[in-house]
Amino acid sequence: MLRVIAACGNGMGSSQIIKMKIEKVFKKLNIDVKIEHTSIGIAKNQAPSYDVVFCSESFISTFDSAAARGTIIVPLKNLLSEQEIEEKIVKYIVNKEA
Amino acid sequence: MEFLLSIWGYFQANILTKPAFFVGFIVFLGYILLRKPIYEAFAGFIKATVGYLILNIAAGGLVTTFRPILAALKDRFNLQAAVIDPYFGQAAAQAAIENVGKSFSMMMQVLLVAFAFNLILVIFRKLTKVRTVFITGHIMVQQSATALWMVIFCFPELQNNGMVMMLGLLLGTYWAVSSNLTVEATQDLTDGGGFAVGHQQMFGVWLTSKIAPKIGNIGGKKSKSLDEIKLPGFLSVFNDNVVATGTLMLLFFGIIMTILGPELMATIDDKYKVESSFTFYILEKSLTFSVYLAILQLGVRMFVSELTESFQGISSRLLPGSMPAVDCAATYGFGNPNAVTIGFLFGALGQFVAILGLVVFKSPVLIITGFVPVFFDNATFAVFANKKGGLRAAIVITFLAGIVQVLGGAFAASYFQTAQFGGWHGNFDWDTVWPVIGILMKNLQYVGVGIVIIALLAIPQLQYFKNKAHYFEAAEDYDAYKAAMNK
Repeated sequence: MLRVIAACGNGMGSSQIIKMKIEKVFKKLNIDVKIEHTSIGIAKNQAPSYDVVFCSESFISTFDSAAARGTIIVPLKNLLSEQEIEEKIVKYIVNKEA
Repeated sequence: MEFLLSIWGYFQANILTKPAFFVGFIVFLGYILLRKPIYEAFAGFIKATVGYLILNIAAGGLVTTFRPILAALKDRFNLQAAVIDPYFGQAAAQAAIENVGKSFSMMMQVLLVAFAFNLILVIFRKLTKVRTVFITGHIMVQQSATALWMVIFCFPELQNNGMVMMLGLLLGTYWAVSSNLTVEATQDLTDGGGFAVGHQQMFGVWLTSKIAPKIGNIGGKKSKSLDEIKLPGFLSVFNDNVVATGTLMLLFFGIIMTILGPELMATIDDKYKVESSFTFYILEKSLTFSVYLAILQLGVRMFVSELTESFQGISSRLLPGSMPAVDCAATYGFGNPNAVTIGFLFGALGQFVAILGLVVFKSPVLIITGFVPVFFDNATFAVFANKKGGLRAAIVITFLAGIVQVLGGAFAASYFQTAQFGGWHGNFDWDTVWPVIGILMKNLQYVGVGIVIIALLAIPQLQYFKNKAHYFEAAEDYDAYKAAMNK
């Protein structure tokens, strides 16, 4: 099972939306996941113990050190676009593992 | 009949008027209605109720931590103080509501009526011209709390049910109309991203999209874009809400408590003894605000995520194709990453200048910068402003917005008397539109409420009137809209 964290500024609004959207797409792709959502600040500390972090492109630099330790960081432009999320899951996760 | 009444009485005394259980009950009911299995409904009930109880502890903690400082300010300078931040505002509103002996549960009832009314306005969109459903749960909680206190303040005699209905209609209208106002600007920014902003500064976003092109083109000289500049890397630490809140609180409360001095604090706060280190007392006290804010957010996150999911489920089941209005941070991915930082920086500068102004001109209420308005409002304005008017518009607009946030917040905290509990909502619409609504309600009573609802409902009509042929396309078929607009 993939451990996933969705992050945004305060960990309230947009990360919740990311969570709902990626949950739907992961289900469609038949990938087993456990998703949590939180703030950028907390996610930064927790990221190394997760497999994947989803966040808005504007916060991507926060996760440089986690990325260096092997966590997959997926930057999103449109948090609500299931199409974009699906393409990125395939690009960053499915193809990477294959 | 008597049996039924006694069941109702029991329900009312133990669930309806106890917000923690009411929230849990609503979530439980929502899950059942969405045909989820019973064990998931049970889990939802537990998480929502525990989340609310956590929130309660944190809201109480914020107010209690603030109390000695407020008392000392009153004692030494005859000053009141308020942090302009929706979490502080929510805690202050809850304290104010409970202080006059009303149940905070009404906040949840208002929220549900307002959400339902927003849905109704969209169902009849051919008539109302409203295209958006507001589904940002934590914002709905905060605004219901602050607005509920405003109504109790303006209508102290009104019965609870009347209050819930009236405010539900008013707030639902605001949610629908204000988020609908951001459709064009957000679709333009995101090139048809398919969402609108449903947050705390929709009138500000609209205003920004109107004035940014003018500022960006003053004297015919086009402004630089944010893409052309580079910002020092250390600024990005303030993207971290824990760091940003802690720093802001330390800055403000550090200055305030240093001025108040150790002797006064020792007499007022029994947690501090003159012989211990004042520096570390200040450090601990300031950071305690961050602690309770983090706890408060944990609690809100727990019960709101349950709510948001069911709101989304309900609106997509009832209104397929309606446009969701979501958190303003959803727009950040479409702006330059610098926009978020520039907005925060110049918004903070505007706020600090205005706060200095309050001190110099001896305002009876001191304002303390809170993280959410200064960061989220201004970052959002900067993203929209940069798109339409470049760097110059982003700087000018966020600086002015910072000033408005402080002056409007100071007025509101004093007028609506939440300064005694140390907070005011503080986001842009709540420093501009809502104080005006409050003044109308206070002075004209029901007539005022009527005027506000009618004026709000007229806004989408005006928008529609200006662009009849393509108004609905802007939300439903952006490519067609764009093609028509570019002609």
